[in-house]
Amino acid sequence: MSELIVLSRWQQRPPDHRVATDLGSAIDQRSLELRVLGWIAALQMHPGNRWAVHHSDSFEFLCILLALWQMERTACIPSDNRPATIDRLRHELDGLVGEFEDAKTVTAPREDCVSRERDWIVPQAESIALEIYTSGSTGTPKSIHKTISQLECESAVIESLWPSQADSVILATVSHQHIFGMTFGLFWPFSSGRAFETRCCEFNEDIRFKAVHYPRFALVSSPSHLGRFSSSIDWAGIEGRCDYVVSSAAPLARADSLEVGRLLAAPVREIYGSSETGAIAWRLQQPDQPDAGWHTLPGVSLELGAGDRPLLRSPYLGDVESYELPDRVEFDPDGGFSLLGRADNIAKVEGKRVSLAAIENILITSDRVKQVKALTVERARVETACVMQLSPVGQECLQMLGRRVLIDDFRKQLLQNFEAVVVPRRWRFVEEMPYNRQGKLPLENLRALFAKTEALWPQVLEREVDENQVILRCLIPPQLIYFDGHMPERPIVPGIAHVHWAAHYGLELFPIHGHFERLEVVKFMQVILPEYPITITLTYNDKNGKLSFRFESDRGVHSSGRICFSR
Amino acid sequence: MGDLHHELKQKIIDALELEDIEPADIIDGEPLFVEGLGLDSIDALEIGLMLLVTYGINLKADSEETRQHFTSINALVALVETQRSK
Repeated sequence: MSELIVLSRWQQRPPDHRVATDLGSAIDQRSLELRVLGWIAALQMHPGNRWAVHHSDSFEFLCILLALWQMERTACIPSDNRPATIDRLRHELDGLVGEFEDAKTVTAPREDCVSRERDWIVPQAESIALEIYTSGSTGTPKSIHKTISQLECESAVIESLWPSQADSVILATVSHQHIFGMTFGLFWPFSSGRAFETRCCEFNEDIRFKAVHYPRFALVSSPSHLGRFSSSIDWAGIEGRCDYVVSSAAPLARADSLEVGRLLAAPVREIYGSSETGAIAWRLQQPDQPDAGWHTLPGVSLELGAGDRPLLRSPYLGDVESYELPDRVEFDPDGGFSLLGRADNIAKVEGKRVSLAAIENILITSDRVKQVKALTVERARVETACVMQLSPVGQECLQMLGRRVLIDDFRKQLLQNFEAVVVPRRWRFVEEMPYNRQGKLPLENLRALFAKTEALWPQVLEREVDENQVILRCLIPPQLIYFDGHMPERPIVPGIAHVHWAAHYGLELFPIHGHFERLEVVKFMQVILPEYPITITLTYNDKNGKLSFRFESDRGVHSSGRICFSR
Repeated sequence: MGDLHHELKQKIIDALELEDIEPADIIDGEPLFVEGLGLDSIDALEIGLMLLVTYGINLKADSEETRQHFTSINALVALVETQRSK
């Protein structure tokens, strides 16, 4: 276990202590001190207590924070640096420091006239060190304050549960702009004397690319990345080097947890927490047990409060004695608990909190919109979606501009305010919102509008396109719309679909200008059943405008014929 | 339009389950992310996975270089043509 030097006493480390790393090269305590002095010099030229901080480099971010705290100022941490986000916060801020698209930003530390000596202060334990912003259920962002002592206490609690290996380098796929990345990727490693990599890993390949530089590492990540770990990436070179993986933002699927644990040969610890409360509980999936329950961190407790909402007590809650959680939980007999989802109008998309009300509030300001409902739907991932009743102006736009332009406009409006990940990409424009007889708008009615559409076409696996011949190798999807009612006992692809598909692909792939006129020599020899692999061969004779088609498989020819197009 | 261009567009649409978008709507030289098609960082992960599974492409380099490969369909086609192993 390494010695914990709390955040407010960071100057106690020796000058050659390794604070951060950048692809194998170390950044030491001496560089950190100089950099903090530089930021102090740059910030001293501007008055004001409350500073928005955004920087993509974790080392710079930490230096800015330490500089602000030396000046007894507060670091305000927006989750992103989008102009609209900053405009919303501007009236609460005295300045911007780091990476913002704003001319008044303090962008770099001063390297000239920096005195190498300074009487470092120990910041007041109870002064407000951080202010972070998060989605409130009403749509208005909520600000959360953290004191230095809260941050220090949280790191100490985590360290008491999982003592650090001093030589381990921290890699992260999550940003330090969010509280989980800040605590687990920055504050805890920094206090426990472990180096953190300055740049975030955007892709899973980056993890390996960075990890090869270090004999030992730990990974701070989220289900977005861990759910997409692939055994095809060559983890072999680094598998014994990982001390642990820590994941937060949303529960990690058990299968994903086990797979990551197997590939990296390391424990995958999940954290349940929130911006308001910091870390609350943890769990570790085991191959030979069913879904693991959550267990509170040392000193943290959870009980059912009034209205069945869980009530949290924790040593780093600040000046509140207890906090009512927005999640529904179920206590297990063994003292652990399970999470049952949120009890309010906040959704989580890829671990990012988004207020559906806030999406609706922005869209409803458009004169094209009469009524709008935002929701989440589960497809390849959990996504946001919108059901909208257009105003007469909106109806006109839909007819004049088309669906794509209209959707693009709405998306652009939302991208001003939200990260792309949480902006809806599925839209339904309805004549009437799907109210039930009680006049309510049940979620199921909205979700039903996004049910997977039945397949209209074969699934094309491969295509060979020549000048006048096309070969399509396809699979017949079992959910094909034509199977409905077509031989209830034994679904088959109706003959008309063969002709329809041939004409469709012919028109798409050949320069056919005429329209469908008649059929010639059409023969249906064998039926096509669901999931058959089929090869469709299309030949186009440009001279007479005839498209020949043939559907065949291992079973022989299923159908053939000619479609004549008008000249 | 080259075959691989079309193939990649279709694979992106399938992998991301995009709606309201046909291969022809994706312009070869236009940005895939933020402007243009408007994809996001999670989509980038999905596309990375698709490249790995379909073409055996391992994105070895750093994020900056990967971001270059992901700028447009043209860039992706160049990546697949030079680095595919299946």
